[in-house]
Amino acid sequence: MRKAMLTLVALMLMAAPATAFAQSSDGTVTVVHGVPDLTVDVYVNDALTLEDFEYGTVTDPLTLPAADYDIAIRAANADPASDPVLSQMVTLPAGANATIEANLDGAGAPKISVWVNDISTIATGEGRVTVRHTAAAPNVDILANDGALFSDVPNGAEGVADVPAGDYNVKVTAAGDASTVVTEVPALTIPEGTNVIVYAIGDLTGGSFQLAVQSIGGLHTPPAGVPSGTGGDLGTGIPLWLFALVAAAAMTIAAGGAKLARQRG
Amino acid sequence: MKSGLALVAVGFLILVASVGWWLAGRPSVESGDAAAVEELLTPSTTVPAPAPPSPITSSEPPDRPSSGAPEATPLPRFTVADQAAGDDREPVALRIPAIAVEAPIIQVGVEPDGDMEVPRNVTDVGWYEHGPAPGEPGSAVLAAHVDLARQGPGVFFNLRSLEPGDVIHVAFSDGTTEAYRAVARTIYDKADLPTEAIFSRDGPPILTLITCGGGFNRSVGSYDSNVVVYAVPSADRSPVS
Repeated sequence: MRKAMLTLVALMLMAAPATAFAQSSDGTVTVVHGVPDLTVDVYVNDALTLEDFEYGTVTDPLTLPAADYDIAIRAANADPASDPVLSQMVTLPAGANATIEANLDGAGAPKISVWVNDISTIATGEGRVTVRHTAAAPNVDILANDGALFSDVPNGAEGVADVPAGDYNVKVTAAGDASTVVTEVPALTIPEGTNVIVYAIGDLTGGSFQLAVQSIGGLHTPPAGVPSGTGGDLGTGIPLWLFALVAAAAMTIAAGGAKLARQRG
Repeated sequence: MKSGLALVAVGFLILVASVGWWLAGRPSVESGDAAAVEELLTPSTTVPAPAPPSPITSSEPPDRPSSGAPEATPLPRFTVADQAAGDDREPVALRIPAIAVEAPIIQVGVEPDGDMEVPRNVTDVGWYEHGPAPGEPGSAVLAAHVDLARQGPGVFFNLRSLEPGDVIHVAFSDGTTEAYRAVARTIYDKADLPTEAIFSRDGPPILTLITCGGGFNRSVGSYDSNVVVYAVPSADRSPVS
């Protein structure tokens, strides 16, 4: 599973050109907490970088130099020298926009997931919705306005789609069973030019299942033009008096020319 | 012989003088420093495109040495923002005394072909709802028709005579009003419209008024250019020299 995910991540990075968000030597990292009943401290390279981080929260994006980072997660206020609950080496490439998530796998065991966020530009008038299944729960279907958006999504997988910007009724249902609604968001706003990333987190049977949302803006494309006139009422811009004078000049020249021709002949 | 030559000479004189008089007296659409505004709205960090990034990889952590780890440079810390409620303040009306404009503002988006939507009604002004609202960072775009074939002259018919220094009032849905001061007026060929700057969501707050202008192509029923006026919050000192 992990290998599959990492391959997917590699493919997505090839497809997703870095935008001007980060300097070319930097990457961007966001942290998501999806392990229920556990408030944590997050250490990066042995330095405490996030304290009392609560279940269901999403950090602001942080720009970091491209490098290898040693991520360690301990229970809040635990001894920094103690063994971490979770730890992982993460390589942040230049220009990448990544999310590091602590979450449950399908069997309910905590793990660290590394996601690469799609920050390629989005067509004018559209937004992007990304759904990540990171909860201890069976496969799910995602419905937008009661139409299938993503089907049969297992834990550890994601779906990405560009959609017209606007509000959507989003339902998470048991895979293949639209009548078993796991959760419903009556109006999820997908702003234009923004990647809205929804994480399903927690444990479905334990009652801690919920959603966490991360947004990455600035991916918009400007409109191609502003068509704002069809009447032609501005006219040709040549006033009548100019027509009259030009006509008078032409007649004078013609008269002179005729006189010249007669005198020659 | 002489009278014929004289007539021809007088004819040419009238021709040159009248066309010259017209060209000299024709008002220029350009006024103020539009290029400086474009610059303000264009991200200065136009860094060269980075090489395609290599994939993120992860691996099991090595045995963690309790000491003697390489000297770590201090890292910035993560923060968690308060979930601020969305600001629903929208522009609802536009007033420009200098060109006798008083019009409602409606929200507009994108046409299927990727153009900005412009109100169907020639008396309405459209605010590009996906971009900033007036006063927010970046360029808030208000567009209206200069004219429409079946409706005649539009609310922005005289935009081409709005002068730098003229005041523009925008009323908002929360009952407040803000004043802006025009700083530049210009005309762009439609093919050269600087859309990245005009629809920028970064930079100082600029109010951008757009309509059509330039030559009219009767066969396709459209103008070949856009007339654009840039304005800044009137309390600001001009960012444009």
